[in-house]
Parts: sequence; C-alpha cells; structure tokens
Amino acid sequence: MSYHNVEILFVEDSTDDAALTIRALKKSGFTHKLYHVINGAEALDFIYCKGAYADRSDKEFPKLILLDLKMPKVSGLQVLEKLKADQHLKSIPIVMLTSSNEGPDIEKCFALGANSYIVKPVDSDNFFNAVKEIGLYWMVLSQPAH
Amino acid sequence: MKKNDSDELIIANREIVLQNKEIESRAAELIIANKELLFQNEEKENRAAELVIANKELAFQNEEKENRAAELIIANKELAFQNEEKENRAAELIIANKELAFQNEEKEKRAEELSIANRELKNAQDDIRKLNDELEQKVIERTAQLESVNKELESFSYSVSHDLRAPIRAINGYTKILKEDYAETFDADGVKILQAIISNSKKMGELIDDLLAFSKLGRKQVTVSDIQMTGLVNMVREELLFEDDENIPEFEMGTLPNAKGDKSLIKQVWINLISNAVKYSRNKTQTKIEIGAYTKDNLIVYYVKDYGAGFDMQYYDKLFGVFQRLHSQEEFEGTGIGLAIVQKIVQRHNGTVWAESKVDEGSCFYFSLLA
Repeated sequence: MSYHNVEILFVEDSTDDAALTIRALKKSGFTHKLYHVINGAEALDFIYCKGAYADRSDKEFPKLILLDLKMPKVSGLQVLEKLKADQHLKSIPIVMLTSSNEGPDIEKCFALGANSYIVKPVDSDNFFNAVKEIGLYWMVLSQPAH
Repeated sequence: MKKNDSDELIIANREIVLQNKEIESRAAELIIANKELLFQNEEKENRAAELVIANKELAFQNEEKENRAAELIIANKELAFQNEEKENRAAELIIANKELAFQNEEKEKRAEELSIANRELKNAQDDIRKLNDELEQKVIERTAQLESVNKELESFSYSVSHDLRAPIRAINGYTKILKEDYAETFDADGVKILQAIISNSKKMGELIDDLLAFSKLGRKQVTVSDIQMTGLVNMVREELLFEDDENIPEFEMGTLPNAKGDKSLIKQVWINLISNAVKYSRNKTQTKIEIGAYTKDNLIVYYVKDYGAGFDMQYYDKLFGVFQRLHSQEEFEGTGIGLAIVQKIVQRHNGTVWAESKVDEGSCFYFSLLA
C-alpha cells in the first residue's frame, strides 16, 4: 500500500478491529486514501518521515488521524501527547478509538487535546455507524484549520 | 562731889542709853527672829498641809495597789485556768498527733499501693499503646493491601472492559460480515445460527458494560445535595422512550418530598425502578404505575408500584443480586443488573431498599433516604 498522499492515518494494533474499521469505512462509501499502521512507533515514523517512511514528503500531512489508545511500545496516549505538543501538527484532528469506557482514559485524552473519543461498540451495527460518523464528521463536515 | 556724881550719872546715863540701845537692838532682833519663826511656822503649816495631801495620795495609791493586787489574783487564777486548758489541749494535740502519724503512715502505705497501681496502669497503658501501634500498623498494612487489591480490581475491570470487549467485537463483526457478504453460502438454518452468534455476542457486550458500570458505582464519590424529587422523577418519566406500539401505562404521582443525596445516582435509581415497572407492566392492558412517598421517623420512603407481572416472593433473596433474574429472557429481556445497581446506590446513601410482590398482580419497590 502506497504511503504517499495519505488522507486518513489509521493507527490500530488489533488486526480484527483494523479489518472491521476499514471495511466499515469502505462500505460507507469513503474513498479517501487511508493508511493503516500497527503501532504508535510506526505512526510517529510515518508523521515525522523517519525509518521506513524516510522518503515520504514531510509536506504531506493526513487530514485525520484515527488513533487506538492501547497499543504496545508507544501507546496512543504518547502519540497524542507528542503530536498535540507539536506546533506544526497540533491542528490535525485526532480521534481516539478505544475499547475502554473507563473515565480516567477519557479525561486524559481530552486533557492532552484529543478532538474526539470513540468507545468501540461490541455490536457491529453500532460499530459501523460510529466509524461512518467519525469519517463523515471529520472528513466532510468539519472545516480544516488551515 | 557733885561733879563726881554728875559724871557718874552721865556714865550711868550713857550706860542706860547703851543698854537701851542694846535692848532696842535686841528687840529688833527679836522682831526679826519672831518674823522668822512666824515664817517658819507658816512653812511648817504648808508642809503639814502638803503631807496631808501626800498622805491622802499614798492612801489612794495603796488602795489602788490593793485593787490591782485583787485583779492580779483574778488574772492569775484565769491564767492558771488557761494553763490547765492548754495542758488539756496539748494532751489532745498529742493524741491527735499520734492519730495523724498513724494516718500518715496509712497514707504512705496507700501512696505506695497507688504507686504500684499506677505503675501497673502505666504498664497497661504501655501495653495498650503498643497494641494500638500494632493495630495502627495493621490498619496501615491492611489499607495498603486493600488499596493494592482495589488497584488490581480496577486494572481487572479495565482489562475486562478493554480486552474482553475486543474479541467479542471481532466475533460480532465477522459474523455480521458472513451474514451480509456470504448469505448465499448459508441455508436458512445457517443464517439463523449466524444471527444467534451476533445477538449472543451483543448480549455479552451488554453484560460486560453492565458489570463495569456496577463496579464503577462502588468507586464513585457520592456528592450529596438537596434533590427536588418531583422534578427529578418527572424528568426521568419524560426521558423514557416508548415504542409506538407499546402498551404505555398511566402514571399516578403526587408531589414528592425532597431528600438529600447524589442527584445523578438517585436519578439512576428512579430510571431503573420506573423502567422496570414499565417493562413488567407490558402484558397488562390499561394498567397504571403509582409513584409516591411517605415519611417514617427521619427517613423518607419512596415507592414505585406497578400492577404488572410481579414475582414470586419465594425468590426474594435473589431479587437484588448481580445478574440474578426472576424472569426468563424470552418473557422479559434484561441483564439482571438494574436492581443490584439500585441497591448499591441506596446503600451508599445509608438507605434501604425492599419490595413486595404477588405473581401476576404486580410489585411495589421501596427505597428510603434521609430527609
């Protein structure tokens, strides 16, 4: 999968959740170019054009980042903290995806500047609807900051 | 002769004159002496008068002395009496002194006993302090253990929330894909089974969510304020969602007294009790739900009464248990967490929850709060 001109960066370590989310977006008619990375470290490499992504243009930023909270190595919280502290990157909307509906996580994410927080529902109908709404809101309805 | 005679006469005359003069001078001396005697006499008379006065004075002084002597005798007697009294008193004092000495000894003994008792008390106190310290240490240790257990529980519920939900979501999602994209591969039975997997995984997700909601209640801080109960219950009733074809019961409710409690938690109690009442009234036509309250001592008892399915009081002890259900899923859906949540919330408000019911006649659920 080409990592150039990516519009949605999707950071998710669970293969199942990734497959279901990508399918849900496609079924909902999203044609935006989506790129899936499997952990926080890879997400940071992608954004900062390092490692495997050294030849990616650093002028191209995704329009939306879907970020799973609990991942090995570099967690979603760490990625969120790093990107929201970066003057050049903090305007990219970041939607946190998580299985947890525990209070402290939600508070931490918003404190760090997350734009939205979605608890992945068990029920696939609800899950598809949630994913569709995220895509619709952040890619179509919300006006970009720049 | 004549001349001699004259001479003699002259001489005699002269003698007589001389004698006369002598006599005169003697008389003068006698007068002086007389005056002197007179004076002396006078003096003596004066002296005698003075002596009489002095005598009188002495007599008076004598009398005085006699009086004084008599007084002294009386005073002496008095002193002698006082002396005797003092001796008696001294004797008494000696006795009293002996008594005091005895008492002193007793007191010393007592003091020693007290000192021993004191020492014993101090030892006991030290023991108690030591025990207290040990107890405190134990409390600290136990608290630390509880805290760590609590943390474990928290991380357990986090894991349950996060880790269990993920595979269930995958099962649900993949089955949905099978049903949607591969429907023609399955026969009617197969599709039914796919649907069963979908609804069961969904059900398990709900159970996990309910269990986590329940466990969160124990950790949630209870913020007490005055609750305007009538308004709160009206709000809950307005938020109830009814299906179009649902049998909507009639509500009977007067003004409810206010109580103190955590508004969001007490709202959850009303939501659970009222939606239960609606759910179990579903099969009754033209039924009603009564909501009311009464005061008892310093408590307010609220109740929700329905005329629905009711339950068998034989199983009352299971009523408020977690995941305990007295109806089958086919009769009335639910996870069996609602009344457990009600009980936990009311208990955290130091209140009580109880119920009365008769099968097929309806149930009444009560809960008490501080006024």
